[in-house]
This record gives sequence, structure tokens and C-alpha cells, in this order.
Amino acid sequence: MSYARRTGRFLAVATGAAILLTACASGEDKPAANESGSASSAPAAADTTVTHAFEQELNSYNGYTSEEYSSQNHIVVNNRVLQDVWGYSTEGGVKRNPEVATYEKVSDDPLTVKYTFNPKAVWSDGADIGCADVMLTWATGSGKFTDFSYISTEQWGRVELPDCKVGDKEITLKYKQPFVDWEALDVLTMPAHIVAEQGGLTVEEFVDAVKNGDKGKLKKAAEFYNKGWLFNGKMPDKKLMPASGPFVIDSYSPGQSITLARNEKYWGEPAKAAKVVIRFIPQDEQVQALQNGETNIIEPQSNPDVVAQLGGLNGVTVKTGDQFLFDHLTFNFNKGPFKDPNLRKAFALCVPRQQIVDNLIKPQNPEAQTLDVRNVVGFQPQYADTVAFAGGDKWSTVDIEASKKLLSESGKGKLKVRIGYNQPNPRRTQVVELIKASCDQAGFDIVDTGSEKFFADGGDLANTNFDVALFGWSGSALNSGWTSTYHTVEKCTPSGKGNNKGCYSNKELDKVLDEILSETDPTKTVDLVKQVEKTLWDDLMSIPLYSQPALTAWSENVQNVVPNASQASVTWNMHEWAIQ
Amino acid sequence: MLAFIARRLAISSLVLLAATFIMFVLVALSGDPLADLREQSTPQAQAQMAARIKALRLDVPIPVRYFGWLTDLFRGDLGVDKSGHAVSSQLALATTATLQLVVIATLLGAFIGIMIGVVSALRQYSSFDHGITFAAFVCFSLPVFWVATMLKQYMAIEFNDWLRDPVIPLWVIGLVAVFAGLVWASIYKGRWKGKLTTFAIGFAVTAVVLYALSASHWFADPGLGFPFILVVSLAAAAGASTLVAGWENLQPMYAALASAGVGALLYQPLQPVLSDANLLSILGLALLTIVVSWVLGHTLGGLLRRQAIPLAVFSGLLTGGLIFVDRILQAWHSYTVSVRNRPVATIGSETPNYSGDFWHVSLDSAMHLLLPTLALILIGLAGHSRYSRASMLEVMNQDYVRTARAKGLPERTVIIKHAFRNGMIPITTILALDFAGVFSGAVVTEHVFGWRGLGAMFTKSLKEVDPTPVMGCFLVAGAAIVIWNMVADIAYAYLDPRIRLS
Repeated sequence: MSYARRTGRFLAVATGAAILLTACASGEDKPAANESGSASSAPAAADTTVTHAFEQELNSYNGYTSEEYSSQNHIVVNNRVLQDVWGYSTEGGVKRNPEVATYEKVSDDPLTVKYTFNPKAVWSDGADIGCADVMLTWATGSGKFTDFSYISTEQWGRVELPDCKVGDKEITLKYKQPFVDWEALDVLTMPAHIVAEQGGLTVEEFVDAVKNGDKGKLKKAAEFYNKGWLFNGKMPDKKLMPASGPFVIDSYSPGQSITLARNEKYWGEPAKAAKVVIRFIPQDEQVQALQNGETNIIEPQSNPDVVAQLGGLNGVTVKTGDQFLFDHLTFNFNKGPFKDPNLRKAFALCVPRQQIVDNLIKPQNPEAQTLDVRNVVGFQPQYADTVAFAGGDKWSTVDIEASKKLLSESGKGKLKVRIGYNQPNPRRTQVVELIKASCDQAGFDIVDTGSEKFFADGGDLANTNFDVALFGWSGSALNSGWTSTYHTVEKCTPSGKGNNKGCYSNKELDKVLDEILSETDPTKTVDLVKQVEKTLWDDLMSIPLYSQPALTAWSENVQNVVPNASQASVTWNMHEWAIQ
Repeated sequence: MLAFIARRLAISSLVLLAATFIMFVLVALSGDPLADLREQSTPQAQAQMAARIKALRLDVPIPVRYFGWLTDLFRGDLGVDKSGHAVSSQLALATTATLQLVVIATLLGAFIGIMIGVVSALRQYSSFDHGITFAAFVCFSLPVFWVATMLKQYMAIEFNDWLRDPVIPLWVIGLVAVFAGLVWASIYKGRWKGKLTTFAIGFAVTAVVLYALSASHWFADPGLGFPFILVVSLAAAAGASTLVAGWENLQPMYAALASAGVGALLYQPLQPVLSDANLLSILGLALLTIVVSWVLGHTLGGLLRRQAIPLAVFSGLLTGGLIFVDRILQAWHSYTVSVRNRPVATIGSETPNYSGDFWHVSLDSAMHLLLPTLALILIGLAGHSRYSRASMLEVMNQDYVRTARAKGLPERTVIIKHAFRNGMIPITTILALDFAGVFSGAVVTEHVFGWRGLGAMFTKSLKEVDPTPVMGCFLVAGAAIVIWNMVADIAYAYLDPRIRLS
């Protein structure tokens, strides 16, 4: 009886609730039904989006401040967003960019370069590209306005205040001192009209303040220049980030990705892909992401495992090559046995350079060769000539007997040689092992003094506490960077020796190096570099070993991916990327 | 109690303060912050080094740097990292990411782990118990990065490949069915005849279901459908009430069945509402479900309201959950197409620039959470199942359990009411510590799956020898441990009267 009553009550309540809820539901039924058609149809596959993977996040739109400058982060993203009058070619050289401006040297003494900006060139917000922007670069880079943080005054410090007015498209730069890399001067950096506006000035007022050296007036602008473009958990207002290239920054998802969209205002050849997404993916996870289609292009650091993993994938193009990053052995000219040129020679004769490349580099880059000079890399056109002139190729074969003979002539007996390098670095440890196996036969006693503190302040490299140092240099096709490495130092102290870690000195060479810095004719520079390399081999200042291998892989449905050996990274031509 | 809490807090903050000093010094000494710049021959390298020395204050001794940081902290400022970005905003993003990643995994891991642990305690030394013990130790000893890579290979890349033609080969169906049969048979307690029957049923059901799924290409366009939801939700309601309330008094079961039935009957009318859903309306529906279920439980529960109401709410929410899953699966096919037929993701927390309705976006999140959650559950399962098994076994041997049996109480009541409740008390401590651990991030998992959570922030800054962000992470993790420890103590006192009274 009571069961029946309860059951009845249960059914009553259940039906009541059902009706009630149905009524509620159907109240909203109509608009929902109208929209359900569009809502349930999924977003279409983004067919014109190319995805690239990169490990680090972008932290700021402005990569020119000394806090934010890093060779990779900004280049990868901003390569085709903020473009300049030049860029790196695939061989690492300087490639002019006539879409932005043409330029020519009009005088050698004083060095004067005339830039003519494309009359159609505008920022993606419509503002004119020209004089004002060059004035901003001068203000930041000349060192005259110290409120602006700028990475180096090496280039713009030599340039006199440009004489142009707002709206000018022709700008002439006059150098106080000649400068070898004048072709690679960063002319167009950040948008001046934004800096002026954020500094509470009109563009005219801004340019006038720069001309008059009015630091006080530019204080607010400098503050914005240094901090206003930082990504603090979200990107700055898009209005503050106009682009000068075929892409604009479209959106940013912290920790995940940044999206570039086609710049509709771009005056030159438009980007092929509507969007390029750069996802932030750790290097060791990039291969599987490529395999699962979550990225189309990857550029991870090369190691044998990654190369093998990529080799097993279908539908993926893998390209290996050299890069502007080489390992070498530097002798200690300050103290120890290698002040004696014959002992340097004996050591150089037993270093198995070919074997090192065969064993350690070829598994990742089948076409790898020994690096026979220091400041020109295998993929540069002048490499073969330079090697032949400098005589670097004759040091690639090991001659234990000759080495033994030189060593015994010096009367040093079993000579102890300490090779220092930064640990952990498995490849360099193996290099030392190979050298030991070979040179111990010649009578050396090679000691591995690699340590985790090798690079640190007060470490072995800084204190010149090594017989031979094994480390890398990241180079570039520009010549202003490396000359100080071979120049006589003032004092052989940690702070005094700069890049010349072994305190090598050759007064004759110093003159050539100085000449390079002020040589403005590229063809002559090539000859000067040849001379430098010859002297460095004759003196056996250091022994270059190999270029570190570069690795790029992309899925076959993406077209026009061209790896770039320079620091420019594979994104250098992202406006040509297209996807099927 | 208040005095106790205050004392605990004061001591803990002093400990935390001392720990920050040690941590700061250790981070500052952990490496060379300029290492990456020392091999650059570019003219910019010098300026970069100078800027970094200034930003990290490398020119002053470490204790001075520490007190600078501490002073800022007391002003409520977590400072900036070496490139001038506010640590607080980074910390907010990282904490959100970590919570998204780890909370679900921790909850699911705890729930499944405890269930397995309890069952294996009830079937001590059975083949199920041995099998679980073996599996738990295998999982426990697996390195996360390896599990993660395997999951990516087989659950994402190969699974996505397989989805193009989702047919399960017969031999796979056979193997899985045999395995399922063995598992069920090992749980069954009794003679071999019963075991054999259980095996047969388990085998047959699994084989038929898998074959049906394969033959109908279910994986290409999955869904649950009204009949399935109705049957499963009613069955679950009945099962839960049997477990909790038993067959002696049926009011709680009526309540549970009613709320499941009402929910399932609303399947069709709800569809238009759901197709235009957002997070708010889903939460609203959940709230409505709770209210209606509560009313049902209250009305139908009679004298057993205290059992009926939770049961009704549980059944209602479960049914709602099934409808939710069904709706999200309806979006599966179009979602798959929109991500180029590769729905299971290996990296990141979202498809970049993905836009769609609520269901597609939710599915996108779910597909990105799937693998890391699986990895975390697999690793965490072992601990929970072992702890709860041990705790349950201990309780089952207590005198009061024997007394309860001697009174003639049914075995269900003995286990659920007397043993299980008391067995779970020690587990609260472990759960609380687990949640505190959540805030330290899951370093390896975050790295492998490309989540920028607290663990990733910690390791990145440590690698760069940049103490400020590390200290930010450390503060969050340390505070979480202090607070959750205290929550555990308080919960303990609340759950166990013996502690309260002593």
C-alpha cells in the first residue's frame, strides 16, 4: 500500500520535474535552434596557416635594447615583421633589400652612404617610413641619448647626425670613421611615430629634439622605447606594434604561440600564407610535434638521436648543413709550453682533425668537412680560395712521426698538455679523447681538464689557466665582430684580454686587422681576410676543428622552406612559405 | 584551536623565511649567469653582459641581493626577472597553467587509485591483488619522460593515423577481451565455476562492444545516444544506492533512480539548449540538477533523507555528465576535420588560434590535456592504491570491524560504513600533501608536453641563474605546503573525534 503510494508520488514528481525542465528548455529553444546550424559546424581547417616551432618565447617587440637583445628570439619572430634595408642571405652574406630602400656608397672619404627609401614604404598603420625612423635609430644607437637602451654603439657611434626632415625619403649618412660593415648597418629599426606619440611628442617635435640633443624632452619616449614593448604576460596593444614587413603580429598566447598575419598594407610582394604561427615547443619535443602535424617546420639543435629520429619519418624533408658556430683549439701564448712555435706545430701535427669530423660530425651532417680557416665558413663562396691561400688544408692529416720528431728536438720529454673546456659537453669530451689517443703516441701526455666552471668568472678560460682551450665561437659574415679576437691585448688579465683568450699577439697582423675594420670595399676585405687566415696558420694561433652541424626539417606539404646558415634562421623567407 | 593555528602559522612563516634565504643563495651560486654570452664574438656581447650584470646585480654580494629582494617582497612586489618582466604576471600565468594541468590528474588519480586500493584490500592475496600490486610497482618505477614519449607515439601519433580508418583488428579485440575477462574473473571471489562464468561474461561483453564499435566506425563519429544514457544512468543510480543504502530500505534508491531518470528523459529537450552553451549555462544546468535532485531526494527519501539526498545528487550529476560527454562527442567529427584529422595533441595547451563554439573549444582543451593527464595518473596511481590498500587492510583487522560482523551486520554495511570511512582518514593527509605538491608544478610533464607552468618557470629561471622568478615559484610552493599541511591537520581533527578529544 505504502509502496504504491510512494511509487505514485515518485512518478508524479518525476514527470512534473521533466515537464518543468522541458518548458525551461523550450523557452530558449528558438534562438538556440537558429544558431545551432552555425555553432555545430566546426571551424574550417586553417589551410593557409604555416606553423613553425621555436623553443623560446618572445619577450618584447623591441629586440634592440641591451636587455632584450638576443640573436635568436627576435630574429625568428620579427624576421619578416620588422625588416631592414638589408638581411642575411642563405650563405650568410649581406643581402640588400630594395623593397625597403636602395643604397649606395657615394664617397669613401669621408665614408658617405645615400639611402633612398621606397616611396611606397609605410608602416602597417599607414605611417610613412623614412627620415623620422632613421632619426630614431640614430638617437638610440649613437650613444648620445643614454636614456635609450641600445645594444651597441659600435655602428651608429661612428655616424654623424643625419640631416633630413620628416617625410624625407632620401637620407645620407656620413661616417666620422670608416666602417667595414657599412652595408650591414641597421637603418630601419623601430617605428619612430609610435615612440614619439608614446613620449607625448609629435613626430616633428621628436625629430627636432633629436637634432637639438634635447635629452629631457625625450625622457618619456626613451622610457617607452625600453619598457613599453615588453610582453608582460600579454602582448602590448597591437596599435603600438606596426610592422614594416609583410607580416604583422596578430595574436599571442603566453607560453603557447605567437601568430603573424599578412600585412594588408604591405607595398611589396605580399606574403603567400595568410598566417604564420610560431609555437613555443621545447627542442626535444619538436620531432614528435612535427610527426603529429602540430608544427610544419622545426629547427632543433642537431644531435645524432634527433637526426636518426627524423630519418625514420615519412613525408618530411630533412636538411643538414654547417652553421656559423665553430669549435676550435686555442693555444696559451701567455705561459706554458706553447709559447714555443715548434711545440705548437708538433701538437697541430697530431690533432686528428679529419677523424674528429668523421667520428663526431658526419653522423649528423654527411657532407661535413674539417673547418680549415676560422672566419670563413664552408658554405661561403670565398671559402675554398681562402683555405688555399692560407694553407689550412695541409693541417688536416696527422703525422705522428713528424710530431714526435719536433717534440724530441725540443727536449721536453713527455710533455703534459692540459686541454680545458666547458662541461658537460659530451661532444667536446670525445674530441679530447680522440686528441689524447693520437697525440699520446707522439709523446704528449694529454690531460682532460674540462670543468663546469671553465667559462665562469675566475674560471680557467678567464684566468688563462690552460695549455689548450677547446671552445666555440659564434661567427657571422660581418667582419666587425671577430677582429678583436686576434688583436694584441693591452694586458693579459681576465678583463683586459677580451676575446683573445690565449693572449696571442702579432703586431703585423694587428695592422691588417685595423685595416679590415676601416675597409669599405667588400672585395678588398676578402683579400685582407685571406691574409689574416694565412698569418694565423703560420703562427698556429689556433686550430679550427669543425662547424657545428645545423638541422632543419619540414613536412613536405610546405613549400619554399629554405634553411639559412646565418643567424637569420629558417624564418628569413617566411613570406614565401605556402602550404597545400 | 585558533591559538594552535596561529602558532603553526607563525612558526611556518619563520621556516619559510629562512628557506627563502637558503634558496636564494643556492640559486645564485648554481651556475654562471653569463655562460651563454661567453662564446659570442659579436660586438654586442659585451653590452649584453653589462646589461645582465646590472639586471641581476651581479656586482654586489649575494646577501645584499637577497635583502634587496626581501625588501621588495615586504612591499608586496615580487620583483622582475633579468629582462625586466614582472614576476607576478609570469607567476599568475604559470599557476593557471599548472592548475589546469595537474588538478584533474590529481583528482582522477586519487579517485581511481583509492578505488583500486580498496578493491585489492578486499580481495587480499587474490590474483587481482597480485596483478594490481605488480602493475602499481611497474608504473611507479617508470620515468615520466619515457611514459610521455611512449604515450605521444602510440596514443597520439599512431592513434591519429589509425583514426583515418578506425577498424579494430580481430586479434586486438580478442586480446583485449581475454584481458578484460581475466580482470573480472580475478575480482570475483568464489569457486572456479563462478570465476569461469565471470570470465566468460567479461570476455563476451568486451568482445561484442569492441566489435560493434569497430564495425560501426564509432571512433570516426562517436556519441553515446539516448538509450545508452538512460540505461547507464539508471544502472549507476541503482548500483550506487545498493552499495551505500542496500536493499533493505528502498527510499534512497527511488530517489537516485528518479533523479537519474528525470535527467535521462531530458536528453532530447536539452539538445537545443546545449548547442548554444557556454561555461556559465553549463554551470547553471549543473546547479539546477543539484537543486532538483536535492528536492527529489528530500521528498522521496522519507526517513532516510541523509542517504537519499547525496545519492540523488550523485545520480543527477552523473546523468548530466553523461549528457555532457555525449554532446561533446557530437562535436568530435567536425573537430577532427578542423585539426586536419589529428585530434589527439602531443604538445601545448591549445591549438593556436582555434576558434569554435563551446564544445569545440572544450574538446580542444580536452585533447591537449589527455596525454599529460594520462601520464600523471599512471605515475600517481601507484602511490594512492598502495596507501589506501594498506590503510584499508589495517582497519579491516580492527576489533570494531570484527564486532560489527559479530553483531550480524551485512558485509556491505561493515565495509562501507565501518571500515571504509575509517580507512580513509589517513588518506586525507596524503591527499592534502598531494595538493600542496600540485603547486610545485610537474617539472618533467610540463616540459615534455610544452606547458608553461610553475615547474617550467622554475627550471627555466634556474638554468638562467635568475633568482627572482625562482623565488616566486618557491614562495607559491612553500606557502601551499604550509597551508595544506594545516588543512590536513584540521581535517584530521574534524574527521577523527579521538584526536579532537585528546
